[in-house]
Amino acid sequence: MSIQSIESNYCGGHQTAQFKLLSEQQCEKIVGAALEILERTGVDINCEEALSLLKKAGCYVDGKRVRIPSHLIKWALNTAPSRIVLANRKGERKLFLEGHNSYFGAGPTCPNFIDAETGERRKARKQDVVNTAIVADKLPNIDFVMSLSMISDQTPELADVHEIHAMLQNTTKPLAGWAFNAEGMQDIIDMCTVVAGSLEELQRNPFIVLYSEPTSPLTHSEQALKKLLLTAENRIPVVYSPGMIIGGTAPVTLAGAVAVGVADNLTGLLLTQLKSEGAPFIGATQGGPMDMATMQHCYGSPECLLQQTISTDIYRYLKLPIWGTAGVTDSKVVDQQAAIDASIQILVGALSGAHLIHDVGFIDLGMTGSLEQMVMCDEIIGYVRRFIYGLEISDETLALDVVDQVGPGGNFLGTKHTFKNFKERVWKPSLFDRRSYDQWAADGCKTMGQRVHEKVKQILNEHKPEPLPEDVVKQLDAIVERAETRVKK
Amino acid sequence: MTNVKDSLAGQLTRSGRKIKNMEKKGARKKVSVQQVYNAVLEMDDELVVKAVKAEIDNGTDPSVILNEGLISAMDEIGKRFSEGTVFVPEMMMAAEAMKAGVAELKPLMQDIDTKSSGTIVIGTVKDDLHDIGKNLVAMMLESGGFNVIDLGVDVETEKFLEAAKDNNADIICMSALLTTTMPAMKEVVEAIKEAGLDFKTMVGGAPVTQEFADQIGATGYSADAPGAVEKARELIG
Repeated sequence: MSIQSIESNYCGGHQTAQFKLLSEQQCEKIVGAALEILERTGVDINCEEALSLLKKAGCYVDGKRVRIPSHLIKWALNTAPSRIVLANRKGERKLFLEGHNSYFGAGPTCPNFIDAETGERRKARKQDVVNTAIVADKLPNIDFVMSLSMISDQTPELADVHEIHAMLQNTTKPLAGWAFNAEGMQDIIDMCTVVAGSLEELQRNPFIVLYSEPTSPLTHSEQALKKLLLTAENRIPVVYSPGMIIGGTAPVTLAGAVAVGVADNLTGLLLTQLKSEGAPFIGATQGGPMDMATMQHCYGSPECLLQQTISTDIYRYLKLPIWGTAGVTDSKVVDQQAAIDASIQILVGALSGAHLIHDVGFIDLGMTGSLEQMVMCDEIIGYVRRFIYGLEISDETLALDVVDQVGPGGNFLGTKHTFKNFKERVWKPSLFDRRSYDQWAADGCKTMGQRVHEKVKQILNEHKPEPLPEDVVKQLDAIVERAETRVKK
Repeated sequence: MTNVKDSLAGQLTRSGRKIKNMEKKGARKKVSVQQVYNAVLEMDDELVVKAVKAEIDNGTDPSVILNEGLISAMDEIGKRFSEGTVFVPEMMMAAEAMKAGVAELKPLMQDIDTKSSGTIVIGTVKDDLHDIGKNLVAMMLESGGFNVIDLGVDVETEKFLEAAKDNNADIICMSALLTTTMPAMKEVVEAIKEAGLDFKTMVGGAPVTQEFADQIGATGYSADAPGAVEKARELIG
């Protein structure tokens, strides 16, 4: 069940669960603050091409400091598409980033991974990316795939390229990819082009979103901008997301933090539109509070949820597709803390309706990837999706004829109406235990954690994702080879 | 609603009050320049300046004001931070207060042979522009009496080495926030070896661990800023 058709809240008998924190006026106020930051304080741009694009467009350039007039942002907001459709690897259009549709997927660049066999925390390997793709491919509520890794068992400078190489071969679901630099990102685009058949085909039905990020506050590194411009040039959807540490790299007060994040993100938007008008761009600001004792960025926090919600409200107001975060915990293991974090984040994320909600499967402050966390989240997402779907109010669902037929003292179990509707109307869990105590005890008294672990192993043993044609795989191998040769120079 | 508001307000003011309460209760180190020492612990720059001026007027040896008053108080702040009773913004306020005191002493200190504890070159590694952690460590090292040369962000390997040579540094400190920029630390450690130089190295930043430090052959690692001061003192000996 995917969370779609939620617009019908306003035009039909279908009532879905939605949540909005900010009014239009409040969104306008925060966006106004972001525009004021861009005009008054400006941003540091550490890239020649970006500087010259901004200067030519009429920004005030003083060295690397660039002050951006508001009208340029307004122009960019108008030229960027307000909706993006992501296809799967086969070119079938699957994820509609519009309305309140929320899709969930994994996150990038965890240096560590929980070994699927032993449960040991160790450095991430390419096989972990293969496993992540296989498990995500199987799970019904994971809609797009990221690597959950920054692998260290291949040429370190090419971890990004190797990860896409692994993911493309082990899932048909849409991907989101990260890269160290523009060269690696070009390799990734080339691999996806091979799979799609041509760059034009990839542009028409993109099955990958690329990721780059500014350095909060208000600083844009050379590599981040080169990657950003490369995505625009190739017209591949891009997420340019400031990862703010609230109280550290952004004001400790949420309104100011989001204003700074939006300013950085809209700088990226403007650059993509200057590079290639109409290039697909996904609005994003991410951030959690700094824990003032440890200086860690905290995912599991009410402030992080608020930041997500505010950001989602603002990008909906700006009519841009929206990036979000959920399913991630600061806990070091998949435990009660992890389940609490994931549940609240997934519920809030889906209620406020960000489109691509990533980082499902992160534990350990985002430093470790866990297939168990992802599998547990799949269950939570299913639960939440049923809730979000809400109810339809119609003759069929009011079922007055059935009520009359059953009458006082009867039951509805044996009616055709129940038979016809129960599968669709009642969520069926895959991991929750609802048996009697005795049945549960006879089956080994397994906890949720144990059941999750077994499911991970079962999927890895049984699921065989649809393979790519052999000649395509050969071409992917050749691109990786080319990259290896480049970095050895 | 009232309860929620009250408890929120309580939380918001607690940290500020806590320090003062703790101050009243906490065992305060006895030093000869107690007013200066206390003023740093109060994190109040005006109070520090006042106390330092008073000691100067009393004819107290400036190096005693510096070491027993200012530096010793910052060591205590660092200790409390590591214990979890002082938080980062408070530590920074205390360091600012200390700096205000040092500024008062500076004109007098030129005549005295002030031996700094050592010279440290610090920066974030290539392609990493995140400098909050680095700045905090630099500030605490300065507060700990080290001569700190801050190279800023996105520092190339050669620049680390040059600066260390030019300043006759004891330690090169490197910081990274991104997992994707950590490998640059290894480059610096290896470049030092290749050049046959004997600078010690310290690494830190959110994704950096002792294990990583050992792996790349860095001399030292610290999980937090006060720990970096201790580690640097240990390395310089």
